[in-house]
Amino acid sequence: MDGLLVAHGLNISFEIVVLALVSLGLAITLGLLGVLNLAHGEFVMIGAFSAFFVQSQGWPYLAAFPVAILACGAIGWPVEKFLIRPLYARPFDAILATWGLSLLLREMVEFFFGRGFNSVAQPIKGTVNILGADYPAFQIVVMLAAIALIATIVFWFLRSVTGRRIQAMVDNPDLAKAVGIPVDALARNTFVAGLCLAGISGVLLAPIVAVHPSMGIDYVLKSFFVLVVGGLGHILGLVIGSGVIGGAEATVSAIIDRTSGYSFVLILSLLFLWRRPNGLVAR
Amino acid sequence: MNTQLKRREVLAGMAGGAALLSSPAVLRAAGNETIKMGTFFSLTGPASLFGPTQTACTALAVDQINAMGGILGKQVEIVAGDGGLSPAEAAQAAIRMTLQDKVDFIVGSHNSAVRQSIIAAIKGRVPYVYTPLYEGGECAPNTYVTADTPQQQVKPALNSLNEMYGTQKVYLIGNDYVWPQKLNERAKEYIAAFGGEIVGEEYAPLGPGNKFDDAVTRIRAAAPDLVFISLVGGDNVNFNRSFAGFGLDSSIRRLSVLLEELTLFGIGAENSDGLFSSMSYFTAVESPENDAFKSQYTAKFGADGPPLSMLGADAYSGTHCAAALLNAAGSNDASAVMSASNGLSYTTATGTAVMTNRHVNKDIYLAECNGVAFDIVKSFKGVAHGETCSV
Repeated sequence: MDGLLVAHGLNISFEIVVLALVSLGLAITLGLLGVLNLAHGEFVMIGAFSAFFVQSQGWPYLAAFPVAILACGAIGWPVEKFLIRPLYARPFDAILATWGLSLLLREMVEFFFGRGFNSVAQPIKGTVNILGADYPAFQIVVMLAAIALIATIVFWFLRSVTGRRIQAMVDNPDLAKAVGIPVDALARNTFVAGLCLAGISGVLLAPIVAVHPSMGIDYVLKSFFVLVVGGLGHILGLVIGSGVIGGAEATVSAIIDRTSGYSFVLILSLLFLWRRPNGLVAR
Repeated sequence: MNTQLKRREVLAGMAGGAALLSSPAVLRAAGNETIKMGTFFSLTGPASLFGPTQTACTALAVDQINAMGGILGKQVEIVAGDGGLSPAEAAQAAIRMTLQDKVDFIVGSHNSAVRQSIIAAIKGRVPYVYTPLYEGGECAPNTYVTADTPQQQVKPALNSLNEMYGTQKVYLIGNDYVWPQKLNERAKEYIAAFGGEIVGEEYAPLGPGNKFDDAVTRIRAAAPDLVFISLVGGDNVNFNRSFAGFGLDSSIRRLSVLLEELTLFGIGAENSDGLFSSMSYFTAVESPENDAFKSQYTAKFGADGPPLSMLGADAYSGTHCAAALLNAAGSNDASAVMSASNGLSYTTATGTAVMTNRHVNKDIYLAECNGVAFDIVKSFKGVAHGETCSV
């Protein structure tokens, strides 16, 4: 019985951490730049396909990380320049534009890899016994990697000069420009970094889930819910939002079933949009 | 080569879309020289990976029918609809198809919710042939089901696994809609009949991709001998990957009832130990008829055509069934087709089938996954469908 509780605890932790990981990129593009990137999930998908591509070439799994970053960067750079930059001040148009982008990316991947499911082998096989619960070893690694990645990004954002400059740009772009911060380049790099983080999360998730061109839809919605609940004001919002959404869904799913868990998340998000539209950690 | 294969799939899909857009004009130009076949295949949505093989197999069947003189002396022309739509949208499309495009009959391969809405929309005006495996019990007027029924697909498989491995304790997991729920009701009867026991039952929402870590944890706690899976597409992939990831594949067997070549490829070779599938068609079925079907398919679409699977082979057989129905009845008149259907024999991917009570007795295969391929472990000849629709 103890083993069962530990197992459910691990499942809930995994769901929360993965949600935070997938939402991190969206928190950056939406929270810092104000662009609700509906193609966010497609960059997760491109990361997952990078892992599949790397495997089909017979390269080691770790090679998928640079491939994903290159792919997301190569797509993100022109996308920011030609599609997003003119729309920074027009958030609703940006939603439409990124929705179109999501369709385009899906079709592109479908063109090269086909519509079907692909399988990425787990680089670390087998289970480990944690306090009486057998848990997949690779999922432990994913959790640790995700926590390390999020911590690094947060630490860097709060401590580095570039992080300070981004905060200045977000607070007052005109003033930031006036003191010599290259706002255009900074916004571009921030946007591309957000996309690359989505790609990295795709690489981490690929060995666990079904890899196919439409998989991105599964991720963008829940990431959005995380930010609705957590709020955009602070990195804490991401952590709290993931905890609430992921924790609530996993807990209700464990106690009742998946349908109830999913309904609960929808109701929770609706309540927040209605009663507390700025989330738990407002700007 | 890999790239080319995929490109072809995409082109097939695009061709389907183009046919859909351009069909009304084509039809008007063609006048009464052709007979119009409406199709509802999964062009979009969660099942859209099955679309290319459904479209391709149907094109092959139509070629063969046309070469043999067509239907009622006319060449067959396809009006392609999308079976991946929501039930409400599919109903509208079906009404347009019958009233505006004036199709003479419809062949569909899509989920059961869409089937119910199409039947409600066309009200038996034209013959409607439904081809993929389903939960049984469809007796709507002028509706003909070439699909595998639960008595065919589920009963022999559950019984054999029980005989071979003593799988007494069964855990049921499926998506939350009509097919898995009704199928599980039937499965419970079959399990009770051999003295088995249900140790758990749960459903996951259909639509967003689900994670199954919690379900797998519950299954481990329930300690069944067999998990009976009626999950669809991506959920079937995710569940089976989690199941093996948690190491349950070494001790618990699985029977999935919508597991064909494309889904198995997503589950992956390292996650398919102890996983079984039961259907009336696998590409691995060894028979002269299936060899002939596969070589005709390859001859038309090349070695890099859309990968062949059960849903395509079913659409092929369903198209031949529709042609035989109309030819035997001498028209597409509902009562004539209904009475022609009983005892009707028609071509399938694995030979010939005979229709009774608007369903089909057929050979069923139990297959065990061997990496990403199927090994046929048991064949059941001429399994009765067990449906009792009037004719």
